[in-house]
Amino acid sequence: MAEGLALIVNGKIARVAVGGAKTLLSALRDDLRVLSPKRGCNQGVCGSCTVLIDGEPRRACLTLVERCEGVDVRTVEGLANDKFMQALQRAFVVSGGVQCGFCTPGVLASARALLAETPAPDEGEVKAALSGNLCRCTGYRTIVEAVLAAAKEVSL
Amino acid sequence: MKFAGAFDVKAPRPAVWEKIRDPGLMAACIPGCDSIEKVSETSYRAVVAVKVGPISARFSLVVDIVREEPPTRLVARARGEEGGRASALSCESLLSLTSLGEAGTRVEYEADVDVTGRLGKFGLGIMRKKVEQLSEAFVAAFRGRLEPAAAA
Amino acid sequence: MSAFVRHPASVEEAVGWLASIPGALPISGGASLMAMINARLVEPSCLVNLERLEELRGLSLQADGSLRIGAMTRHRDIAGSALLVGAHVLLRQAAAVIANRPVRNMGTIGGALGHADPAADYLGPLRCLDAEIEIAGRSGRRSVPMSQFILGWYETALAPGEIVVAARAPPLPAGATLYRKVARVSGDFATISCALRLEEDGRGTTARAAIGACGPAPLRSETAEELLRGGLGDAEAVARFGAALQAHADPIDDVRGSADYRLKLIPRVLASAIAELTGADRG
Repeated sequence: MAEGLALIVNGKIARVAVGGAKTLLSALRDDLRVLSPKRGCNQGVCGSCTVLIDGEPRRACLTLVERCEGVDVRTVEGLANDKFMQALQRAFVVSGGVQCGFCTPGVLASARALLAETPAPDEGEVKAALSGNLCRCTGYRTIVEAVLAAAKEVSL
Repeated sequence: MKFAGAFDVKAPRPAVWEKIRDPGLMAACIPGCDSIEKVSETSYRAVVAVKVGPISARFSLVVDIVREEPPTRLVARARGEEGGRASALSCESLLSLTSLGEAGTRVEYEADVDVTGRLGKFGLGIMRKKVEQLSEAFVAAFRGRLEPAAAA
Repeated sequence: MSAFVRHPASVEEAVGWLASIPGALPISGGASLMAMINARLVEPSCLVNLERLEELRGLSLQADGSLRIGAMTRHRDIAGSALLVGAHVLLRQAAAVIANRPVRNMGTIGGALGHADPAADYLGPLRCLDAEIEIAGRSGRRSVPMSQFILGWYETALAPGEIVVAARAPPLPAGATLYRKVARVSGDFATISCALRLEEDGRGTTARAAIGACGPAPLRSETAEELLRGGLGDAEAVARFGAALQAHADPIDDVRGSADYRLKLIPRVLASAIAELTGADRG
């Protein structure tokens, strides 16, 4: 272990130890106790570790932490005052888009990136943006409805 | 995974049999075989390295000759693990030698290979292709040893 | 910073590390490599991070009209590039259907080439576009045609310590292109894929096609393409074309489909892709 690395997580500088092929997910969860990104498959398939890196959704489990120095890492913890995230949260509650909740932080990261890029997405665009986030509870319909409703709310 | 095949060697059956039962020669012909150590007349220890794409694995195998009828049939069983990685390989194989007279000897083989753990996870489809490649390499090397003229 | 991850500033420094540290691996986007490390399928002694190598970045049109795509160019950037025009659009079509958005934000074309997954989406299009792969190693630079880049299952022409620097597609006559991917669900690897472009000269139109995920390398037959010239509307000629490619196939059985299923799909996917492109041409 060297002296560590300075990450910018949710707008704050955080130092983490480095060593081996350590991932951003491990740094977030195990070192910094930022627990919204979940360790699901650890293979980049399930999407539950999805976070925003410089605004883009990426897999924290596939991201080498040593490549994250100086980049902006955002999780849902750091988006409480974000207008897109607030609209998404309200819409998810209304539509019932959350059941067990394991996939939700990753889904929200992907949805937030979509809304910031595409203000009025159609259903196909929502499905494409969320195609890398698996949910075993909802059947997706309520999630897609929530994202469409949030987009409408933000654009009003 | 089951495999079967046959190949002809231009050498008389007793000579082919003798080579099959020669651990030093087998070690030289098995691709990736780093060592063979004789434990008893019917038991050997071997270390075999396998590379499938980006993945490299080294198996420590125990090979037992379960039954033999010189110079026609041999049943062997190999089992082994990849040091501390919870991945295992086992193989049961049957070899039959038929004399073709002047033309030499036909070697027929059947094998049932099982791979579990990380190599198995990589996909048995690709493992099958790998085993087929290794068999071809073995046959070429084995023939080279018994048919020096053909190899030259 | 740890000694486990090296951050070279030049290609020469990178290949120097790779050559001198036993067990070192280059890491580009990490989308496949990190997944394999997490699963303990590979256990490198050191990772050489290619991220800071300017030479490996971005797409550019060369003076001779060829297109150069740096190895570190992400799927996302290829899928959205306005520099891909004419037949080169095929690469954009393929990049757009790789995995899903977060993975496209990470994975790179150089990483995909180095890993050489038989089902990877770029391999067929690069073969179909007669691309060349630029390679760097400690002993210097070289270029290998895509037709000779893949040597076996997950085996490439890259010698130990060598890296992909770029893929280069030559200028080609404009013609319609299509990347058809058959997958169980959106975002999965292909069960089978078909990269297709139409090429017209004085002797009539023919199809340039490469089938993916049906052998260690994409299947292509220039001979069969010449026999097909002028016969794109002739179902029997198209069927013969499919059979010619099928004859070279060596698919595996896996969770995405049996070898037999893949073999059956080859002529069908090809015929339907050709019908779609030629129909679009008339329209």
